[in-house]
Amino acid sequence: MRYFCRTAHLPGDGIIACNVLFFFAFLASFREQLPTPGSNHRGRRGVGAARRSCWTALARALPVLGLGLALSTPALAHKLRVFAAAEGDLITGSAYFAGGGAAGGAQISILDGQGRTLATPTPDAQGRFSYRVQAPADLVVVAQTGDGHRTEWRIAAAELAGAFAAGTPVPAPTNGSEPPAAAPTAAAPASAPTAAAGAADAALEAAIERALARQIRPLREDLMAAEDRTRLRDILGGIGYIVGLTGLALWWRSRRPNR
Amino acid sequence: MAHIPDGVLSAPVLIGGALAAAGLLAVALRRLDYEQLPQAAVLSAAFFVASLISVPIGPSSVHLLLNGLMGLLLGWSALPALFVALLLQAVFFGFGGFAVLGVNTLNLALPALACALLLRPLLAGGGGPRVFWIGAAAGGLGVLLTAGLLAASLAASGRALIPAAQVLVLTYLPLALVEALITGTVLAFLQRVEPELLSAGRTDHV
Repeated sequence: MRYFCRTAHLPGDGIIACNVLFFFAFLASFREQLPTPGSNHRGRRGVGAARRSCWTALARALPVLGLGLALSTPALAHKLRVFAAAEGDLITGSAYFAGGGAAGGAQISILDGQGRTLATPTPDAQGRFSYRVQAPADLVVVAQTGDGHRTEWRIAAAELAGAFAAGTPVPAPTNGSEPPAAAPTAAAPASAPTAAAGAADAALEAAIERALARQIRPLREDLMAAEDRTRLRDILGGIGYIVGLTGLALWWRSRRPNR
Repeated sequence: MAHIPDGVLSAPVLIGGALAAAGLLAVALRRLDYEQLPQAAVLSAAFFVASLISVPIGPSSVHLLLNGLMGLLLGWSALPALFVALLLQAVFFGFGGFAVLGVNTLNLALPALACALLLRPLLAGGGGPRVFWIGAAAGGLGVLLTAGLLAASLAASGRALIPAAQVLVLTYLPLALVEALITGTVLAFLQRVEPELLSAGRTDHV
């Protein structure tokens, strides 16, 4: 079914909706009323009757399945997530619900290492927010809605250190801050031509790391989205456990017929 | 949102909720009606999957709770079914958390119990159009009581009540209406095709 989803480019959540409908359709299929009142409704039916009822269940489920597929829209999972990355000294991020919906109504707080609130940027309708950092430090971005969703994302000081390396907050690489930081300070006692060359190297390296951070950021966001995706095997696993526990309980019961 | 994640509630609320949920579960397991186990399994699986389809409303998103339906159809057996489904949701989907499992179970199970105690005896009457309204009442009551317990859990942990209450009212009132409609429809449907489901367990104490 998962392969079918992928090749047909169907959203997997529509299949989930179909499964819910399929449960009720399956229930509906076992509705043969026995002709004589008072006889056991779940009494012995022949194998042929059971097979027929399975086929009628399938036959009834298929149009329901088809309807569900036709109406399937990208449904949203239910976990609030937040992602943020630093570009220079500017932290930009977005709050969203795992599965694709934007959390435009979430409250964002930026906390420092001691839990003090540094800022509360307001997200736009797509849940995006930004914050300009004053000094490199470990930060925690917290997103919450009023009814109990809460999630956080940590930004390490190393990610921000590049912007503050030479003491001037210029757009700088988001990681690997040592080469551009060391180059200007180590070049200070050197002669002028070497200092100029060192600064050019540092500027080149800073530009490279900026471009690299820009390219990697979508990859990180895709990784987060992939982690959050609800997989069919999780659903099947959960339903399998429910069926298994029920079977265990019924087996346990069958060992004590006098209860 | 009916699943509170880890890190939102305070420790006394978590511990109290866990103990109360354990006590209720013990009572429910002693009263477990084995004849209803297959139905309990199907409803538990439906509850398990229902949380995957959530709709954005206002600042948050909601999903069908189905605890009113479970309480109405299963009675006390709804408690283990809810607990197992919540546990599996925490394991497989990461909804809610393990420390919060007790409080989440209580928030969903107590409304289910309320629906069972108040509305299951009414099913014994078995009238045609009444069944739809009993189902609608169960659906709406389940959602509203869950929202109330959610607000109480958040307030007991010291969070500001007014903003939480605003968000809850905004998101759960539409859900209550939708769930009332769906539960009523399911009840009417079941009465047509499988009336024994509605009267199962009627003879024994709820």
